[in-house]
Amino acid sequence: MSIIPEFLMKRVYKKGSLKQTDEGVCFDLKNVLGPGFISGFGFVKVNDATFEADKVKFVTQGNEISAETVTEEQPISFRLGQEGTLILKGAKCLKDGINQIIIELMNPEAGKVKLSLSDNFQGA
Amino acid sequence: MQITFDKNSLIIDGKRVFIKSGAFHYFRTPGVELAKDRFMKLKAAGYNTVDIYFNANYHSKNEHEYDFSGIKDVRKVLETAKEVGLFIIARPGPFINAEVNAGGIPYWVLRNKDVIPRNRIGTEYHYSPEYMAFVREWYGQIIPIIKDFDNVIAFQIENEYATDEMDEGYMKELYNMARELGITCPVFHNDAYNAGLWAELVDIYACDIYPYINPNQNWKQDHFCFDTIDNIEDTVRSFKEDAPIFIAEMQGGWFDKWDGIGYPAMRAALGDEHINIMTKTAVSQGVTMFNHYMAIGGTSWDDLACDEVYTSYDFCSGIDEMGNIQPNFYKAKEINYFLNSFGLTNTGERENLDLGQDIYAVRRKDYENNCNWLFVRNMNSYDVGLESPTYFSHFTFHISPYDMKIMLENFQLNACKIVFSDVEIFARIKNEKDEILFMISDENANMYLEFENTPHPNPLPQGERGIISGKKRDYEFLKYEKHGKTTQFLFISRELANRTWVLGDKVIFNADFVYSNGRIALSKTTEVAYFDLVNGFSKKYFKFQERLKTIMLKDFEVSFCAPEIDTYYDYSDWTKVSEPFDSLSCGMYDEFVWYKTKIPDYLEEITLSARHLFAVYINGKEVLNRNSYKYEKLQQIEETISIPLNKTILTKEQNELTVLVQNLGFDKGFSGDTNHPRGLVEFSTKPERKLDFYVREGLSLSVPESESPYMAKLSTNFNVELKENVVFSKYLSLKDFPYDRATIFLNGVKVGRYLKNNKNCSLQENFYLINTFLKPQNTLDIVIWDKASNIKTPWDFKNELKHVIMQVEDERIHQLY
Repeated sequence: MSIIPEFLMKRVYKKGSLKQTDEGVCFDLKNVLGPGFISGFGFVKVNDATFEADKVKFVTQGNEISAETVTEEQPISFRLGQEGTLILKGAKCLKDGINQIIIELMNPEAGKVKLSLSDNFQGA
Repeated sequence: MQITFDKNSLIIDGKRVFIKSGAFHYFRTPGVELAKDRFMKLKAAGYNTVDIYFNANYHSKNEHEYDFSGIKDVRKVLETAKEVGLFIIARPGPFINAEVNAGGIPYWVLRNKDVIPRNRIGTEYHYSPEYMAFVREWYGQIIPIIKDFDNVIAFQIENEYATDEMDEGYMKELYNMARELGITCPVFHNDAYNAGLWAELVDIYACDIYPYINPNQNWKQDHFCFDTIDNIEDTVRSFKEDAPIFIAEMQGGWFDKWDGIGYPAMRAALGDEHINIMTKTAVSQGVTMFNHYMAIGGTSWDDLACDEVYTSYDFCSGIDEMGNIQPNFYKAKEINYFLNSFGLTNTGERENLDLGQDIYAVRRKDYENNCNWLFVRNMNSYDVGLESPTYFSHFTFHISPYDMKIMLENFQLNACKIVFSDVEIFARIKNEKDEILFMISDENANMYLEFENTPHPNPLPQGERGIISGKKRDYEFLKYEKHGKTTQFLFISRELANRTWVLGDKVIFNADFVYSNGRIALSKTTEVAYFDLVNGFSKKYFKFQERLKTIMLKDFEVSFCAPEIDTYYDYSDWTKVSEPFDSLSCGMYDEFVWYKTKIPDYLEEITLSARHLFAVYINGKEVLNRNSYKYEKLQQIEETISIPLNKTILTKEQNELTVLVQNLGFDKGFSGDTNHPRGLVEFSTKPERKLDFYVREGLSLSVPESESPYMAKLSTNFNVELKENVVFSKYLSLKDFPYDRATIFLNGVKVGRYLKNNKNCSLQENFYLINTFLKPQNTLDIVIWDKASNIKTPWDFKNELKHVIMQVEDERIHQLY
């Protein structure tokens, strides 16, 4: 169970940022909760497609981080106000209209943190 | 007392007041005498407020019954706070967290299956009329006491509360209930997420800020952990514009856990730098109400603790668990004295300054003192030299690594003007004609002054302006005069500043601590200096006559104290229960719960899950002794164990099964649910057979000796000389204790749980013998419940136990003068 209520978790996702690029599906996150660490990426699910950490990268402050390299031993800092883009490599799973997204992250203090949200997309 | 507020500060009887509060748990520091000791220390350190959680579970052990008598008399605690001259922040929950058992919700409430504690399951809102009935009952008990005290300046509803949809019903009801029952002061809530939760619903928005919650984190290296407090002014202003900025819990330490790092390591990690940074940053952000959580440590005696924490709730507080003063207390005192000297309740807009990499710098205009304050923090691992950003481009100042300074710009004094000073001000006292500023000497710091008349003694620089070096000896001073008024600077080293106490217009130098009533405490023969503006300095020599003592405890009386395990033990008067067997369902609230039943000889296996430690005995013999307590990533790891049975274990047609479960407390309710079951939570047999159990709670300490050698009681007596004018704290040392588990009773009161963790060490080896429970003649009982591997023959074991040596030692001893 996450200690952070769902509505607060949802604020981390930047509404309207969902897009399809040459690299894959991407969307933006912004830490509005408080300074901390990400100590692991579980998976990202968009509609019915699930992407394990090896298919996900996180681009933040000019660095490209492969999600599978983020571990408890090698966490990444995610400062208050810091932004980043999650890229689902090679994904083409968006549909026009509302898309359902689930992101599972690990945080050393909060444990498993799950964001369940939806975003609109046009141009599939 | 009339309490109002505006955006800048609380206003009490028409005067702006900066609220400097320290958190205190009366239930962890039982008895009014201990409360008085802690309050007087708090007040002497410049705090003006004590923050008090009220723990419903502590007062209500039985349904609809509340005990406010004896050491549970909170009215006396509040009266003492008032006597000492402290305001009170009242936080009666009903949920308080505080790392107490079930977050403070009584067991009988949790036991009611219709109750949804806090109207929430996980983070989903579920309104529970049955829970609200308890809330009304609790508020109906506690608010009539609280409202009798006009020094209560703020009242909190719930604690760290949020649900997914933020439904307002529960919180609105709490607010209205508080008002209807007579609370007239501002009502607030403590938002754990700094997200503006309930900001519209309460009078003053408040939040908690803990940058250091992970002991594995190096806050000096990962100093972005201060991001939240570095932005708190803008954050809070976006939620609430018309109320003061209130940090209801500002990190003053942190709690250690069963699987933690130990308080000494945590204290070393936090140092006195952390509280310095937190508090000064808060002031730089326009905060005018803060509460150091905790300012006073305590002890989770009896069954106070939630399952996360061990007996000591020292919290790395300024006043530690045993009431002794720690370095972070001195730092808090220093900042409080500064704030008491200058107010800082009416400052203008914050100006953020860019002074370099990993430097936090803020300037604030002070309308009350007509000056500027410059707040600079250095998070580099080396000393930095910086240039004063506006007034003197050639004037440099130094900040040590991980230090933060409050510096003064353009401050007109009676007889001179401080144009700039990075020599820090410890305190100021003044009357209409004279003023004295106590400065903390610092060889790397300077005061840049403007003055007309040269100072006494011999002027350092001549002329209208001068740079006065902060490199000074203790008590060295400079005195300026102008138009019959004087300004004096008196320098003291930081070491002396720690031992310097400002009580109103009097200053006492070189005392270990003083009480707010003026009594001084010393731990060695000392010359103490006194100062006030009328009489100047005087000195007095005090002879210290006490000595630290060690009481060796040996030749224990040993008895086996678990007759419940014996075959043919009569348990016919125990309560018979069917599934579920968890302790709440059985109505058993004690830490220890016994389960007994008969099992047939054809069983192949029993499977059980129990929280947190348990042992299984069949026909009086131990077949399993297990510590199932394990947490990972804030989640308890469930453990289910199967025990294969055979004819060597099941020796009779009907065999006697005994299970003893020790739970370390209920969940505190922050991330988990308070009513998560404890005790025997799962039990099944193979082949499947439905069994009833007979249950009873508690250990039997005064029963005829048992045949079973699995639980042993070591008893001894020791004497304590209780003297007037001597303040002491004693502890039982279990250093190098050869056993894994022990429960400690002082005069029949449970004062400690010793438990080696999965790393085979106990993070707590010293157990505070709480003064309230100490008598001139004391009985100490230590119940050892250890693994079978330690047991050879009962006689050997008894003999081994007889030769255990323990010590009762003095942590510190002070004589009062």
